[in-house]
Amino acid sequence: MRTIRDAVMRVLGLARRGTMERRLEDEMRFHLDMLTQQHVRAGRSPSEARRAALAEFGGVERFKDDARDEYRSRLLDELLQDIRYAIRVIRRNPGFGVAAALTFALGIGASTAIFSVVHGVLLRPLPYKDPDRLVVLWERQPGQGNDRNVVSVPNFEAWRSRARSFEGMAALVPLPATIGGAPNPEHVMGAEVSPSYFETLGVRPALGRAFASSEEQNGGADVIVLSDGFWRSHFAADPRVVGRSLSLDGRPQTIVGVMPASFDPPRFAWLNDQAFWRPFAPTENNRGWGRFLLVVGRVRADVPVSAALREVQGIAAQRATEDRGNEGWSANMVGLAAQITGDARLPLLVLLGAVCLLLLMAVTNVANLTLGLVRRREHELAVRRAIGATWGRLLRQIVTLSAVVGASGCLIGSIAAVGGVHALLALLPPETPRSDSIRVDAPVLLFTASISAIAALVMGAVAALRGGGSGAASLRETGGRAAARLRGGSLVTAEVALGLVLTVLAGLTMRTFEKLRSVDLGFDADHVVVARVGVSGARYRTPEARAVFFDQVLSRVRALPGVQAASAVSTRPFGGMAPATTLGDASAPVTGDSVEADVRYADADLFRTLHVPLVAGSSFDARDALDAPPRVVINRTLARRLWPSENPIGKRLRVPMFNGIAPEVIGVVGDVHLMDARTPARGAIYLANARFPMDALDLVVRTNADGAAMAKSLQAIVTALDPSLPVYSVTMLDDMVGRALSRDRFTAALLGAFALVSLLLAAVGIYGVFAGDVAQRRKEIGIRVALGAPSGGVVALVMRRAVTRAVLGVALGTGAALLAARAMRSLLFGVGAADPVSFVGVATLLLLVAVAATLVPAVRAARVSPLVAIRTD
Amino acid sequence: MGEKGRGDVLQGTLDMLVLKSLQLGPMHGWGITERLETGSERVLQVGQGSLYPALYRLERQGYVASDWGTTENNRQARFYKLTASGRKRLAEERATWARMSRAVDLVLRMGEG
Repeated sequence: MRTIRDAVMRVLGLARRGTMERRLEDEMRFHLDMLTQQHVRAGRSPSEARRAALAEFGGVERFKDDARDEYRSRLLDELLQDIRYAIRVIRRNPGFGVAAALTFALGIGASTAIFSVVHGVLLRPLPYKDPDRLVVLWERQPGQGNDRNVVSVPNFEAWRSRARSFEGMAALVPLPATIGGAPNPEHVMGAEVSPSYFETLGVRPALGRAFASSEEQNGGADVIVLSDGFWRSHFAADPRVVGRSLSLDGRPQTIVGVMPASFDPPRFAWLNDQAFWRPFAPTENNRGWGRFLLVVGRVRADVPVSAALREVQGIAAQRATEDRGNEGWSANMVGLAAQITGDARLPLLVLLGAVCLLLLMAVTNVANLTLGLVRRREHELAVRRAIGATWGRLLRQIVTLSAVVGASGCLIGSIAAVGGVHALLALLPPETPRSDSIRVDAPVLLFTASISAIAALVMGAVAALRGGGSGAASLRETGGRAAARLRGGSLVTAEVALGLVLTVLAGLTMRTFEKLRSVDLGFDADHVVVARVGVSGARYRTPEARAVFFDQVLSRVRALPGVQAASAVSTRPFGGMAPATTLGDASAPVTGDSVEADVRYADADLFRTLHVPLVAGSSFDARDALDAPPRVVINRTLARRLWPSENPIGKRLRVPMFNGIAPEVIGVVGDVHLMDARTPARGAIYLANARFPMDALDLVVRTNADGAAMAKSLQAIVTALDPSLPVYSVTMLDDMVGRALSRDRFTAALLGAFALVSLLLAAVGIYGVFAGDVAQRRKEIGIRVALGAPSGGVVALVMRRAVTRAVLGVALGTGAALLAARAMRSLLFGVGAADPVSFVGVATLLLLVAVAATLVPAVRAARVSPLVAIRTD
Repeated sequence: MGEKGRGDVLQGTLDMLVLKSLQLGPMHGWGITERLETGSERVLQVGQGSLYPALYRLERQGYVASDWGTTENNRQARFYKLTASGRKRLAEERATWARMSRAVDLVLRMGEG
């Protein structure tokens, strides 16, 4: 206790040092002067007198120390007194204490929870060395709206060898692979990375070594680095794992290293979980594959990032002259953190902004509660002022009251936030980046403490400045009443405006979510199970073997009980990034093939299985064999684009894939949302699986059976055909569709909850203002009633003021909401940022809330007896 | 304090004496020392080193209040005045002191008739 007291004293002493030192100095000088004069009067010379006075006065510094101690503890004692006073006041007004602390805790808890998500996802530095210097490099097509395109191998090699601005540059490609083999094959996601990858990020393996630069030569060495998680789950954290062998897609790999648990690889674009890494080796083969690499780089510490970008763009310009395939292409660079955060950024910032508004409302309400309490104690304050309490002291006591409320609210709020963060993590969209770094920790609590302190100060200042004056005012009687008439009005305006902004944002996102849900996706996801099967190894090297395998799988699946239809497609709908190409009408001149189209490989039954309507022509059949001329099914959008007024059946496309093919159009099907509900369907072509056998396909099965049972049956079928192959990514298609909306659902649900709370706060706050107002003006109202005012008139008197204030709030709130909605426009779908339905509806709602909250006090006012007028206080 | 017959203020009585001196009216620190010395016919001497801490302590306890004011020589000085609770405190201290000094006196006169 003693040490705490000393510490507080020291702090207070520092804070008040200026005032105190000046006072000590002045008093000491005065005293010395008087002493000197006394000696002069006794007959000494002035200088002699001064010397004597100083000698008599004694140790100046010791005097100061002693005096200072007394001064400091006075402040501390007053503070302790004020805190005791605040606690006494709160205990005597438990309703106020509970309401104020809980309201404040609500605001603080919600802000802390949202801030910990924002901090974890957006603000916490990436866990790499000097993360600010890390960038992602992309190709881009200026003027095509294509800013972040994956990179071709030759371009990556050119950038890496010619650029001087980078300490390191590494290519990455996701590598799905089957590890182990019969009887327990397992599908895992890994990545192929340039050997310099780990060094570029500034991370080192915990065991063994990273890749050597020689290991990307000659097609790449068969070496592998494991993640900590994989090492623990598959090798029981064996410290002697280095040097052992692991079968990857049937090929043995030597384990050379294990990364530490702290290494969280960057996840962006289609690069997600990474259980292992293999060296990526540029080869004659993959130099011809086109653009498929992700590239990260570390810009040298002495080079500005903008200069590095200019250099890479310069190299890209050289490349455009060296290779026709690079015409119209340039380069782009994005900070790694911004790249990883990507789409999660805006919704989180919107939520953070919204929760700040909510906190502001909570603060407004608590300030109003405190103001009400101060008003009820007007008489006490006036008396204390009259018997000599200083203004400063009274104001300080009111601020201390707020601080006590704020401290308890902050404590309750922080505890609630820990639970809130758990709830948020459960609700969080699964694709949220860096969600494992979300937690309530020291920086988050520092934020909480700071905003609590600021908020408590604001609440106290409002209550003190607007309520503290009433102490003197109530003695001056009438003047105080006149001023009281306008009190609380701005609070009503603020509550309505804040509530309106929050509710409009909630309305817009909820309408967005509804619109997204009602988008016609072009397929029927109900009762459809999807599962992926990939073949690898020598056995499936020939296209025939792959075609035969998938044929056998599908015919067995179709024979399962409850299966209505089954087919296979290269990438399921909503299955993420997949190939696309630019193509054109084969009979048109070669130039100007700029129609973008998604490419899928499917079998004949895909459309029937997914209930995609066949608009014209027919699906694939036995003619689409391995060596037959390729044929294609296109979607309606592509058909309209290429042949708006002709029958597309029998026409030929020019497709640059497979060294250029010209497939005949045999059918037109309905448009399907392949990526998500938001992205409008664009042109799409379907090529026959049987003609172009892939090594991994999604089985698409329409069935009455549930997903888990179907997963077992599918694995059993695959195992019977080849026990070394795993079935993975088994899910119900409608779950995938639902998950694709999870971010919109998250934003809409949270904003909706905030809006509900804000309406409640607005109602309670407005009710509080007018209830207090009516109570204060009983006498005036009594006079009006005595003079014959009808009770309707009294109700109108109160209501008119409420409505005027609320309308002003609606006007201000609408302006703010328009700006806020414009800032979050890219999150909206199907509704405009100035959506009249949301704005008018919400404005009406807020007015209704204001009216409802005022009605009770207004009716109470109408019941005031005229006798009140003749009674004295 | 070599002068014969002069002594430091008794421990514990300084607060009471300061309060008493302020009962005559608001005064600055220098004036208080003068009042105490004159009032005690120069027997009691109050050091600055104990006077100002005592004043600050009394102010913190709410027995005196202080504010800047002007002396008769037109100088700025901090004036101390007795508060209501200070007045009450002085009365209590005086009662205690009277009881104590009577008790001490009684003891000293034991057996002297």
